[in-house]
Amino acid sequence: MPSKNMTFEPNANKDFFSKLNLFVQTHTALMAVIIAAILYIITIIINPKGMNTVAIGNIILLTVILSIPAAGQTMVLISGGMDFSVGAIMSATAVLTTYTMKGENGHFLTVLIISLAIGAFVGFLNGVCCVKIGLPAMIVTMAISNIVTRMQYILTQGVLSGKASPLFSSTVKFKLFGVVPHIVVYALIIWPIVFYLLKRSRFGKQLYMVGNNANAARLNGVRVTKIQVLSYVFSGMLAAFAGMLGAAYMSTARCQIFDDYAYQSLIAVIIGGTTFAGGSGSYEGSIAGSLVMILLSNLLTTLNPTQPVRNVLNAAILILLLVLYNRGKAVRQ
Amino acid sequence: MKESFARFRRKPAFTGCMLFLVVLILNIGIQGWSTCLSNGVSVGNILSFFQPSALKSIFMTNLPFILVTVGQALLLLVGQMDVSIGVQIALVNVICIMVPQEWGVPVWVGWIIAMLAAFGISALCGACCAVLRLPALLASYALTYLVNGINVLIMNVPQGSVPKAYWKPYQSTLFGLIGGKDAPQFLKFLDYIPVPALVLAAVLLIWYFISRRPFGKHIYAVGTSQRNAFAAGISPVKVQMKAFLIKGFFVGVAGICLTLMSASGNPLQCEEYGIKSLSAAIIGGMGWGGWGSISCGVFGGGFLVLIQNTVYYFFTLLSKIFVGFSVTSYWQNFVSDIIIFGGLLMTIVTAKEQRKTLQQGLKAQFRRGEKYAK
Repeated sequence: MPSKNMTFEPNANKDFFSKLNLFVQTHTALMAVIIAAILYIITIIINPKGMNTVAIGNIILLTVILSIPAAGQTMVLISGGMDFSVGAIMSATAVLTTYTMKGENGHFLTVLIISLAIGAFVGFLNGVCCVKIGLPAMIVTMAISNIVTRMQYILTQGVLSGKASPLFSSTVKFKLFGVVPHIVVYALIIWPIVFYLLKRSRFGKQLYMVGNNANAARLNGVRVTKIQVLSYVFSGMLAAFAGMLGAAYMSTARCQIFDDYAYQSLIAVIIGGTTFAGGSGSYEGSIAGSLVMILLSNLLTTLNPTQPVRNVLNAAILILLLVLYNRGKAVRQ
Repeated sequence: MKESFARFRRKPAFTGCMLFLVVLILNIGIQGWSTCLSNGVSVGNILSFFQPSALKSIFMTNLPFILVTVGQALLLLVGQMDVSIGVQIALVNVICIMVPQEWGVPVWVGWIIAMLAAFGISALCGACCAVLRLPALLASYALTYLVNGINVLIMNVPQGSVPKAYWKPYQSTLFGLIGGKDAPQFLKFLDYIPVPALVLAAVLLIWYFISRRPFGKHIYAVGTSQRNAFAAGISPVKVQMKAFLIKGFFVGVAGICLTLMSASGNPLQCEEYGIKSLSAAIIGGMGWGGWGSISCGVFGGGFLVLIQNTVYYFFTLLSKIFVGFSVTSYWQNFVSDIIIFGGLLMTIVTAKEQRKTLQQGLKAQFRRGEKYAK
C-alpha cells in the first residue's frame, strides 16, 4: 500500500469529499479496480449482450498485453524518469515478428532473441541519454522512438508484410474453456518476475530509493545511474516482448501499429497510483490501471458513437481521471 | 566586439543560433551544388537558395511550424507545454474554411471566429494545466483527442477553398505585393522579401512589445519557481494563463497562415507538430521553466525546417552524382530524424558552456571582485 502524503491533521469537519480523496490517495490500486468494475457495470447495463465469453476473453487478453509495457513504464516512473519509446519499440518488434515469421512455424526463438536485443539496446540508449547525459527524458525518448519508427518503414517499405506463425498465434489467442485466453500463461511468467524485481530483489529496493531521493541513495552506496539505466533497459525489453505478443494477437502488423501504447501505458500506470515524482507506486496498481484503460475503450466501443464523438468522450474521461489522481500541489499551502 | 560575442555566448539562444547557422551554410552549399549539377555552373545556380522563389517557398510552407515552435517556447518558459498545439492549428484551419462556406459570411469573419476558437482552446488547456494543476503533458495529450474529435465533427473530409484574393498576397513576395511587373524596377530588391517573412517579423514585434511589460519578467519568475514568484507577489496561475492566451494568438496566426498556404481545409493534418515543436524548442536552447527566450524557438524551428530541406537536396545530389542511386522518402526521414537526435545531443555540449557561464555570473554576484568585474 503506498502510504505517501498521508496527512493526519486533527481535522474535525472532514467532509465526505476529503475522506474520499484520502481513500483515493491511499488505496490507489483498489480504487482502480473499483473504477474498472463501475465501467464494466455501465457497459453491461447499456448492452447486456456485452457479457459473453468472447468479450471477457478479449478484455483479459488486451489487459495482459497492456500490462506488460506498463510494467516497464512503472519501473521507469518509480526511478523518476519517463519512457515514451515503449509504443515505438512494440510496433518495431511486432513488425519484425511478422516480417521474420512469414506465417511459418519455427522462427520463435530467433525472433525472441532479436526482439529482446533490440528492446534492450533501445532501452540502453534511452537510459544513457536521459541519465548519463542528462537530457529531458520525454524529449529524448520521443526522438529515439521517431528513429525506431522510421526503421520500421525502411524495413517494410510501408506495406503489410508477413504474418505471425500459426503456432505462436494460437498460443496467444486460443481460449481455455472458451473464456481464458492462453496469453495468461505468458502473464503468469512475466508478472511474477516483475513482482519479484520490484518487491523482493535488491534492484527493486534500490529503485525505490533512487526515485525517492537520488542524492541520499548515492550517499548510501547505491549506484544511481546504473539503476536508472537498468530500469530503461528492462522497460525496453518488456515492451519488445509485448510487441511480439501483440503481433501474435493481430496476426499481421503494419508500421506504428502499437504507437498508442506509449500514452496508454503511461496513463494506466498513473491511474494505478505511480506518480511522476518517482519513488512510489506498485505493479498491482499498474495492472488494475491497464484493466481500467481496456474497459474504458470497451465501454466506448459499446456506446458505438462515431469516431469523433468517441475521441471527445475519451478526452473528457481522461481529464476526469487525471483530476481525480494526479493534481499537483497548490502553491499556497 | 570580443566582449559582445562573450555576452552573446552567455545567452540561451547561443546553442540554437550556432546550430541554425551551421545548417544554413550546409543548406546553401548543398542546394547550390545540387542545382549546379543539373543546370551547369553559374553564380545564380550556386546561390540557388537565395533565389526569390526558393526563399518564398521555404518561408511559405514552414511559417506555421515556426510560429507553433515560438508558442511552445513561450509555454516552456513558464514551465508548461502543449502537445495538442498541432491539432489546434488544424482546428483554426477547419474553422477558417467552414464558417464562410456554411454560413455565407465574409472570409474575414471566419478568421475572427477561428482566432477566438484558438484563444478558447488555449484557455481550456491553460485551465487544465495551470488552474487544475494537471501534468501538462498528459492533459494536453488528452486534449489532442478532444480537438481531433471537434475537427472531424466540423469537417469530416478534406474540402473547401479560399478566394484567390486572400491567398495570393500571402504566397507572393513584397515586390509582387506592390504590383509585380508594373512596379518600378529599382524596387526589384524587394523580391527577396517574402510576405510570410513579414508576418513572422510582425508577430515577433508584437511579442517584443509584450515582453517589455512587467509580464516579460513575471514569465521568468514563475518559470523558475512558482513558490518564490508567489511569495514575491506574482500570481503564478494568472501569468501561466496569460502565457497560454498569447500562445493562442500564435496558434491562431499559424492556423491562418496554414489556411492561406494550402488554400483548403484538412481536419487531420499537422498532428505531429505538437511533438516536433517541443524537440525544436529544446534544440533551440530552451530549458524546463525559466531558462531560454523566444528567439530559441525561432532558431530551433528554423533548424528543423532547414534540416529537412538539406536532407532532401542531399539525396537529390547523391542521385545525380551516382547514376542509378535512388532511395525512398523513408530513408530521407530516417536521416533527418537521426540528425535531429544529434542536434539534441549537441545541446549538451553547449548547455555545459551555459551552465559554466551561469555559475560564473553567480560568483560575480557574490564576490564582486575585479576578476569578475565584467
